[in-house]
Amino acid sequence: MPVKTQSILSVKSPLGPPIEILKHVFPAQSNKPRVSFITGLHGDELEGLYICHRLTQYLKELETTNPNAIQGEINIYPAVNSQALESSTRLWPFFSLDINRTFGPGQSPSLAVETSQTLFDDLQSSSDIVIDFHSSNLHLMELPQIRIIKDFEKKLLPMAKKSNVDLIWVHPNADIFESTLGFNLNRAKIPALVIETGICHRIHQNTGDQIFNGMLNLLHYTGTLNIAPPPEKIKEPKQVQPDQVAMVQASHSGLFIKQVEVGQVLKKGDNLGKLIDPITGNVLEEIVTHCSGLLFTLREHPLAQKGSPLVRIAKSLSEQ
Amino acid sequence: MKEKILTLPNPFGGDLELYKNTWGKSGEPLSIVSGLQGDHLNGLFLNSHLTQFLDSIMEGLHPHYTLTGQVQTFPVVNANAVRSGSRLSPLDGMDMDLAFPGNPDGETAEAIASTIWQHTKDSFWGIILQSAPPHYEDAPHIQTYKPDGRTKKMCKDLQIETVRRQKESSTQKVNLFHQLQDMSSVIVSTGSPRTINPQQCETLFQGILNFMKAEGILKDHRNKKPKHKTNTRIYQSDEEISVRTTTAGMFLKEVKVGSHLKQGQKIGEVRDIYSGKRLEEITVPEDGLLITLRQYPIVYEKEPMAIILTTKKSWREYLPWPAH
Repeated sequence: MPVKTQSILSVKSPLGPPIEILKHVFPAQSNKPRVSFITGLHGDELEGLYICHRLTQYLKELETTNPNAIQGEINIYPAVNSQALESSTRLWPFFSLDINRTFGPGQSPSLAVETSQTLFDDLQSSSDIVIDFHSSNLHLMELPQIRIIKDFEKKLLPMAKKSNVDLIWVHPNADIFESTLGFNLNRAKIPALVIETGICHRIHQNTGDQIFNGMLNLLHYTGTLNIAPPPEKIKEPKQVQPDQVAMVQASHSGLFIKQVEVGQVLKKGDNLGKLIDPITGNVLEEIVTHCSGLLFTLREHPLAQKGSPLVRIAKSLSEQ
Repeated sequence: MKEKILTLPNPFGGDLELYKNTWGKSGEPLSIVSGLQGDHLNGLFLNSHLTQFLDSIMEGLHPHYTLTGQVQTFPVVNANAVRSGSRLSPLDGMDMDLAFPGNPDGETAEAIASTIWQHTKDSFWGIILQSAPPHYEDAPHIQTYKPDGRTKKMCKDLQIETVRRQKESSTQKVNLFHQLQDMSSVIVSTGSPRTINPQQCETLFQGILNFMKAEGILKDHRNKKPKHKTNTRIYQSDEEISVRTTTAGMFLKEVKVGSHLKQGQKIGEVRDIYSGKRLEEITVPEDGLLITLRQYPIVYEKEPMAIILTTKKSWREYLPWPAH
């Protein structure tokens, strides 16, 4: 059976075309784990759209070349927050609302909450595993990574290791996560990996391709796809706990002029960049690293307020 | 006394400053916070009215009153959002009320949240002033999580009849209100974003005055009794009905928030924007108090147009004969 595209939610809009959430369903040949890929919860995060595009293209081709390969149902939700995507904003513009803070119980009634509930119910009923793709915000560039809340580590870590990311960061829960899709799926015992890569408003084809390969590897590992593992070597991600992550923050407000790139391995004392005063021309701060390790987060948007994160470093073993 | 409690430098000048006003030194403090969202202007107005009043007492311009307790107000929490005329700070699009308890060394929203929390956490009473969510208007009411005896008294003294008991939600732990749960605290909501309703604010101002008098924060030497006794009613979350659209278009309302509506009464209608044809009539499903009404006319399908607080009938009311 070929791929089917369904609308899991259709809401009439005042100007004509409805708001829809579409899902591509690749039917299974047997009952191996059902995997769902979702992207576009934040309308300015486009890296996941590219990864889902590659997955859709690949699976459509596979249906004709190797129809028995799909052993578990695969669902792709390629653009869940269509209004935000159309206006390229993080928030659902009509409501000024972050839809990834509307999951979980007790939310006040609104169309956004109705939408997130419909999406959640659909994912819950059609998935054994969910992958939620995100980019970073307007300011920070992230190396491909998976962040795992400690409580869910046991289930998620083996899958995360198969995903071809550079880093896995296991951290304790924080209250702010409790209204996110990923947290609520995991709490409902649907393992959900949140993959974060790149920066918003951009597509980085190389890291997108890296994660695409990781997803094929993961689908092979779960038995969902009966294919040979991808020929490219899958990365062994660096795994860190909170005390193995060093964050450098701006101690002045100014413009951050970076002198490093994300993915670089740094030595203690390396120059990270400088903070300059755009009005007076003064250099406010020369920023150096106080530890060695992998630079996995980097401020790309130069405007920095006091306290803004500039870089995050996964410390080398010798630093721990 | 106006005191600067936080300065965050801005690279282009015009530092971001956070202020608090304080009056009195003795007694348990009352904290009143407004401007968590940049478009909630009723709270800003109410706090400024209160400031003017308390300042004039301190200057001896109100001989009938003496301040006997301690009051602190935080008129504008989300200064960046107020400055840009938006609900959220344009800097990061983060909701200020999802940043508590904050972090003094964190980003702007976290640093502000931490400062507000540090300055309010030892208060005895807390009042957060807010307006309805975007696109809606609220009738004046109180929101609370656990209406215990102290909170019930607070509601009564504030002379607000309607209290909505909030459901615990997945975002509550990062709200300011949640941080204030160890003290007697309430949210007072009124009006709609981006507007000031002086009449509603005056009613709430009188309520806050009455509360301060009842708690001994403010002494009225005239020993005047309150004109009327407030009968406060607490509505549970399952007593709320959300009336939604089944079509999309232009919503034209025909009722006012705060009115008591009868089952079948027309709330408004949705018209098609292009043809002007009526698509649906929105009616009241059950008798009750209209606490929230859609203000912004452009509507999608499945959006709530009204929230009605219903009164659950006692089993006696279902009896075929009059109960005695």
